[in-house]
Amino acid sequence: MLTYVVRRLLYGVLTFFGITIAIFVLVHSVPGDPITFYVGTHGAQSLSRAVLEEIRHEHHLDESLFRQYVWWLRGIVTLDFGNSFIDHRLVTERIAEKMPNTIILNGIAFLVAALLGVPIGLWSAARSGQPVERASAVTTFLLYSLPSFWVALLLMQFFSVRMNFLPLFGMTSDDYLDLNAAMKLVDRAKHLVLPVVTLAYAQLAIFARFSKSALTEVIRQDYIVTARAKGATSGAVLWHHAFRNALIPLITLLGLTLPYLISGSVIVEQIFQWDGIGRLYFDSILTRDYPTVLGLSVATAVATLIASLVADLLYAAADPRIRLETR
Amino acid sequence: MTKAAVGMWTITWRRFRRSRLAVIALVYVGFVALLAIAAPMIANSSKSLIPFGPNDVDAANRLHPPDAQHRFGTDELGRDVLARMIHGARVSLTVGILATAMALVVGSFLGAMAGYYGGAVDWLVSRLIEVVLCFPLLFLALAIVAFFGPSVWTIMIALGLTTWTSEARFVRGEFLRIREMEFAYAARASGARDARIIFRHLLPNALAPVLVSASFGVAYAILTESALSFLGLGVPLPTATWGSILASAKQFIEYAWWLVVFPGVAIFLTVAAFNIIGDRFRDALDPRSE
Repeated sequence: MLTYVVRRLLYGVLTFFGITIAIFVLVHSVPGDPITFYVGTHGAQSLSRAVLEEIRHEHHLDESLFRQYVWWLRGIVTLDFGNSFIDHRLVTERIAEKMPNTIILNGIAFLVAALLGVPIGLWSAARSGQPVERASAVTTFLLYSLPSFWVALLLMQFFSVRMNFLPLFGMTSDDYLDLNAAMKLVDRAKHLVLPVVTLAYAQLAIFARFSKSALTEVIRQDYIVTARAKGATSGAVLWHHAFRNALIPLITLLGLTLPYLISGSVIVEQIFQWDGIGRLYFDSILTRDYPTVLGLSVATAVATLIASLVADLLYAAADPRIRLETR
Repeated sequence: MTKAAVGMWTITWRRFRRSRLAVIALVYVGFVALLAIAAPMIANSSKSLIPFGPNDVDAANRLHPPDAQHRFGTDELGRDVLARMIHGARVSLTVGILATAMALVVGSFLGAMAGYYGGAVDWLVSRLIEVVLCFPLLFLALAIVAFFGPSVWTIMIALGLTTWTSEARFVRGEFLRIREMEFAYAARASGARDARIIFRHLLPNALAPVLVSASFGVAYAILTESALSFLGLGVPLPTATWGSILASAKQFIEYAWWLVVFPGVAIFLTVAAFNIIGDRFRDALDPRSE
């Protein structure tokens, strides 16, 4: 196990360098003078040549590409992404401020999707070959094909515009501060419903498909046949032998769904005007606030890296075959 | 009596055909492709089948609900939604197919190298895949499109660069399997060079599972392109795209339901069709599915 952990961690470090190199290369292939990344397009045009040279020197832009990368990497490792062009506050501070909103929204959506999707998947795998299974397979497929921004618009149109039942967008109502504690909670919950549904339905389909194929795989195994041959009822076989083993591969979804969640956040937060990092990222892209864009890119990629590391280690702990197999 | 030899593709097609849903999806995709190709003839001027061009402004009929004249209604500038949707099909299909083609080329090449040579090459490609998978695809696509300027080409490159990993993994897996087969040894024994073995002998035999992943890839690319358009970073206006019609639908959500419904249905059906084709094609290729 220790060898596996050490090797996995080493690969993690390598991937981290890969991530930073990828971002660095991408940034440096953007057309135009890299100085705009520090002073903005407007600054590059309005500041005097001498001032620009000074800034160039201060940010090591007059050095070789390799040294520039090293300086930039040093900034990342010490969590220094610079200051935003927009409000000149620290990028880390801006991200930390928006992060909780995104975590609340995505966390709830993730739980809803997992708690509904996994049982649906397991249930339809247990009914393999029956019409129920075919129907659920097609349904999950269609769910997966629905564009989230369209679903959001339809939900808004029906529940907000037509029924006037849920708020159109935002995180709280205008009169939020005047409400008492209980009503504040209700108000927040009401604002969560539509964004959560929009984020959760496609993930639900992924969870259902994934757990279905995991259980189908387990049912084919010899020990299931043995259990049946011993005379165990099919319910007991599923419950005692199959389900627990089918749940293990779900651990890998932890690492796989995070980038997917973050991508979804950009769209959902934009539509529902939810004040999270997805919206921050999108606004920063539009305003060319490079430090924030870079900071968020690094932060989300590293978060995904950590999630997949944790998932891999948990998986290896749960399934000894993984850590014994050498890659 | 000897039976005529039946090739793998014939068998696959026969199995594929058995699924009614798959055939419907295929016919639908053909229909959309036809509309896209013929768009300048179908929706162009008062003389064409749909008597409006995508950018013809009918100022008297802004945000007009569907009627006999404007079958799918008009948008906030008085442009015919149906005409814009037919032209939007061009963008969706072009981007979907080009982006997937790019992912296919990059992914097949790297996957083939990794699977054929193994060792250090395989290790390097695997690390590269790990790095790409760490990025939220939409983040990367948005940044590339915004910083390099939105156009069909940057969208294609952005999507191609972010989605090649699944193709690479499929090709790598297939190569690991078939490089040990007799015909591969035979090719090597008869003195073929690596390049010839890889591209003439192995790659064609690894093609089928890659095409499955390409079908899912087109679905994903169309979905992402329309999302980019919806967010205002797609193919620039006034080019009509399904996503950009939905973007204006958002502003007029309180009364213009037709702007929400029609383009959304078009995206959904097209994406679903490509997903269904991929899924049934995979089943048809699987010998265990008999």
